[in-house]
Amino acid sequence: MAASGTFGYGTEVPLLDRRALAAVISKGIFLKPRQGTAPPRIAETPSGMLNAIGLQGPGADVLIRDYAPQWAAWDFPVLVNINGESVSDYGELTARLDGVPGVAGFEINISCPNVEQGGMYFGNDPSAAAAVTEAVRRRTRLPVWVKLTPMVADIGVIARAVESAGADALSAVNTFVGMSMDINAYRPRLSFRTGGLSGPAIRPLAVHLAHQAARAVDIPVIGVGGIMRAEDALEFLIAGCTAVQVGTATFVNPNAIAAVHDGIAAYIATKGFASLAELPRYLPRD
Amino acid sequence: MSLFLTDAPVIASRQVARAMWVVSLVAPEIAATVKAGQFVNLGLSPGPLLRRPFSVYRAIGDQIEVLLQDVGTGTAQLLAMGETKSVSCLGPLGHGFEITPGLRTAVLVSGGLGVAPMPLAARDARAAGLQVAWVHGARSAHDLCSESDGDSVIMATDDGTAGFAGTAVAAAPDAELVIACGPNPMLGAVAARWPEAQVALETYMGCGTGVCLGCAVPLRRGGYDRACTEGPVYRAADVDWGALPSHLHYAASA
Repeated sequence: MAASGTFGYGTEVPLLDRRALAAVISKGIFLKPRQGTAPPRIAETPSGMLNAIGLQGPGADVLIRDYAPQWAAWDFPVLVNINGESVSDYGELTARLDGVPGVAGFEINISCPNVEQGGMYFGNDPSAAAAVTEAVRRRTRLPVWVKLTPMVADIGVIARAVESAGADALSAVNTFVGMSMDINAYRPRLSFRTGGLSGPAIRPLAVHLAHQAARAVDIPVIGVGGIMRAEDALEFLIAGCTAVQVGTATFVNPNAIAAVHDGIAAYIATKGFASLAELPRYLPRD
Repeated sequence: MSLFLTDAPVIASRQVARAMWVVSLVAPEIAATVKAGQFVNLGLSPGPLLRRPFSVYRAIGDQIEVLLQDVGTGTAQLLAMGETKSVSCLGPLGHGFEITPGLRTAVLVSGGLGVAPMPLAARDARAAGLQVAWVHGARSAHDLCSESDGDSVIMATDDGTAGFAGTAVAAAPDAELVIACGPNPMLGAVAARWPEAQVALETYMGCGTGVCLGCAVPLRRGGYDRACTEGPVYRAADVDWGALPSHLHYAASA
């Protein structure tokens, strides 16, 4: 599936062979339109990139008017990545989108600052993460996934908290917070100072955290973080994930998702498994 | 608009200024469809993670040419490549120049590497029946692109070592259609003199296809749009030049 923020609203990416898509997670959306951050917004780093886009987006009304009707006609589901500055924001956004034809479910981005609680990140605090999950869960019967931040001491604690609050699945993990300096301008390369690091640079870190999350919960964990090729996706699957999202790779190759999909199928056939379900998972429960 | 992703063999390169090269790639579909001001996004493997955007310089038969300067590891690697290798080429991307028929004169104003889209712009302007003035500026005589294509050609150097002593903008005559490309401060000067000019601007860019929102261009009316999709060509007066980063530093570490 296509990771949030790397596939727009599903209408933009050209060339992709769409039969490979199990689902699309939309670009993150808030209730209201957001302009996003000033440029420069991206900086390439070794085997990765930093981004600080600032969740630029058109808001719920435009999403409902312009994008959801297109999604309703597609043969794969589109989940909306939802964002807020307060628990009630998340709940209100969910209520607005629930029942709109084309909206197949929700992925909660908990890597947002909680403005009502002094800007502390929802995703760093088990009770705040659970409160957001509950707020969304109460307002929909559609699938509710939670995208976990890697910037935590123990991802298992957060994973269990949101599972208890009613999450149907977890996406693990979001970008890592990073910084890069412009040595000629004597300041950060991004106008926002820090950005989210994605790409192959984070893959071993993401595999580890997805594995820890998978060991902590009984709901499915969707692996995400630096998957460029089928072999990378297989690492997440063997580490205990049920499915994977491809993100930054789509920036490099618009058809990356299909390449990953076809590579997994070829691997399964070569290994003699009847299906992906037969792939051995490394999930010791010690 | 058709978009193509192809492994493009690198078949030739030639030096056109002190640190400026033209590289020829075989990309038949792109060569047949590219408009002036559009670009291709080139990727190397192994190489930097992200592709790099290049204006298409010329299109001849089944080949396209791109202009590049030795600015980072990616471009250095492209220049060092033998002529038996391929680069991954995605394009044509973006909206090019709008050359309306019925006008009589065009002036193409470029600074440094900003000469990149001008040969195609000259081609398309001539095809539309316009008389083309070519104005190219650089820091010094060695930095001027040695190739030009115009009914009149004016060169300008900041240090006065060749042609007009001063900027390309100062050296340029007026015309009904003004097309410009160069460093962003130069384009700001273009906007001040010719608000209706069409300018091709450069930003850092991630995907080139409109999804990463990394190539944000600040607009006078507020908000941002995408250089890769709504751009890279803008009406000069529409861009908030003060909010656009003035220099791009491609990090050597990337």
